[in-house]
Amino acid sequence: MKIDIQEHKGVKVFALSGEIDMASSPALRSELMALVGRKAPVVFVDFKDVSYIDSSGIATFVEGLKAMMPYGGRLKLLGVPAKIMEIFNFSKLDKVFEIYGNVEDAFKG
Amino acid sequence: MADDAMVTIPAGSLRALERKVESFKTLVEISTIISSTLDLEELMSLVMEKAKGVMGAEACSILFYNRDMQKLEFEVAVCEEGDASNILKKKVLLDIGQGIAGWVAEHLEPLVIEDVKKDPRFFQGADKMTGFETKGLIAVPLIGRRGLIGVAEMVNPGRFDFDMEIFRLLCRQFAIAIENSFAHKESLERERLRQELDIAAALQRSFLPESPTFSLGDLSVSAVNISAAKVGGDIYDFVTPAEGKLGVLIGDVSGKGVSAALYMAKASSDFRYISSRAESPGAVLDGLNAALSRYPRGMFLTALYLIADSAKGEALIACAGHPPCIRITAEEVRVLSVASGPPLGIVPASYETTSITLGRGERLILLTDGVFDAKDRSGGRLGFEQVVEFIRRHRDEEDIVRMIVDRVSDFSEGTEWADDLTVVEVRRR
Repeated sequence: MKIDIQEHKGVKVFALSGEIDMASSPALRSELMALVGRKAPVVFVDFKDVSYIDSSGIATFVEGLKAMMPYGGRLKLLGVPAKIMEIFNFSKLDKVFEIYGNVEDAFKG
Repeated sequence: MADDAMVTIPAGSLRALERKVESFKTLVEISTIISSTLDLEELMSLVMEKAKGVMGAEACSILFYNRDMQKLEFEVAVCEEGDASNILKKKVLLDIGQGIAGWVAEHLEPLVIEDVKKDPRFFQGADKMTGFETKGLIAVPLIGRRGLIGVAEMVNPGRFDFDMEIFRLLCRQFAIAIENSFAHKESLERERLRQELDIAAALQRSFLPESPTFSLGDLSVSAVNISAAKVGGDIYDFVTPAEGKLGVLIGDVSGKGVSAALYMAKASSDFRYISSRAESPGAVLDGLNAALSRYPRGMFLTALYLIADSAKGEALIACAGHPPCIRITAEEVRVLSVASGPPLGIVPASYETTSITLGRGERLILLTDGVFDAKDRSGGRLGFEQVVEFIRRHRDEEDIVRMIVDRVSDFSEGTEWADDLTVVEVRRR
């Protein structure tokens, strides 16, 4: 997995690519939790180039989301590929995360 | 004849020869010490003491090469007065190339310096910390099978007229002994971890029902649970929350390993407590969701819980992001559509309860994603629909649970199982 942290109109965007699993999620976790620790009001995660995510990868975003909720922060996932969206729908994680088509939609949402 | 055989050896050569013999004697002695222990601390003190004695050095020290930091750090120092070891240990760091030791580490060559004051490479930091005065020193790289291990230093040696070749040979042996003791320490640590995992696995098994089969009136359940690793994150349980009622839980913890196993243990004990008090499956999942929300690190549990009435066959089902169950009737095999909420332990939620009636001879198959996410050798996944299709083809088979597990096993033959797998069958006679 590759993590590319960009900034779009003042919002940090995690552009991820490859597989998010047991092996790669610790690196993602430390980046995400550092940002959340600084109480980032909004964080976008771009899933466009993610090929696979396992439950430990999902747990990383759950942890980020749970840490953001108390201060009203928002974690927005965007560009989720159909295959990963299936997993999200199947496990009702679509009821947990805010999911948007692209950056523009995420800004509007 | 006897006179012809007399050879006169010059006194100087004789002394050199004597020294060589002496050096060899030391080499043999140190070799014996080196092979006598695998304990790193003991090994280093023994060798350093001996070397210090032979060289008549006032002190000696070893700096280990820390590969992660790419620096040298003092590991042991032996000197006559006080305990410089504790003053220096892990506190003085040298860059590769810095000081005499750094130079030796960089060039992998020994250095003999009779007067350090005249050598600009000398690093005074260690002396300042210990109050020790270094006048001269011999520094040798310790090179093992995998490259640089560190640098050994003899400080203020009584003599400089030693055989460098033998000294290097000795350091090479010493380096390999250090490597061996590292490997020994690692293997002890691995063994300890293995034993702890065995204990964890046994403890975890104790959270699952004692028997994988259970009957209540006309209802019977049977389960197969296989962990990909020693400890797993799948959970299933059979309870009797009220007279004539059979409760069946299946769940899957996010992640793997010991953390998932601990979470599973917590979920299991919370479930036992909550299920004995709440009436509907939805209320049980509400309670379990609240209890698991306090767990750190974003871990969560997908779960499906059903309570079936053994006399009437009525089954109440609630689901938290768990794969749906598959219903086998006399006419058909289909995926049972029930209302589902998010996985447990993430956000506050209220879980709906769906009611169905199990007819006589009907069966419900509950499973975890380890079944349909199983991978074959080319990385392809079995798929949920394919599992449903397989059950459809074998709907009349008595031991369908075992057949599903065998199907997964055949499909993933030649690969390492990546996920835990659980299949539970609920049947009404």
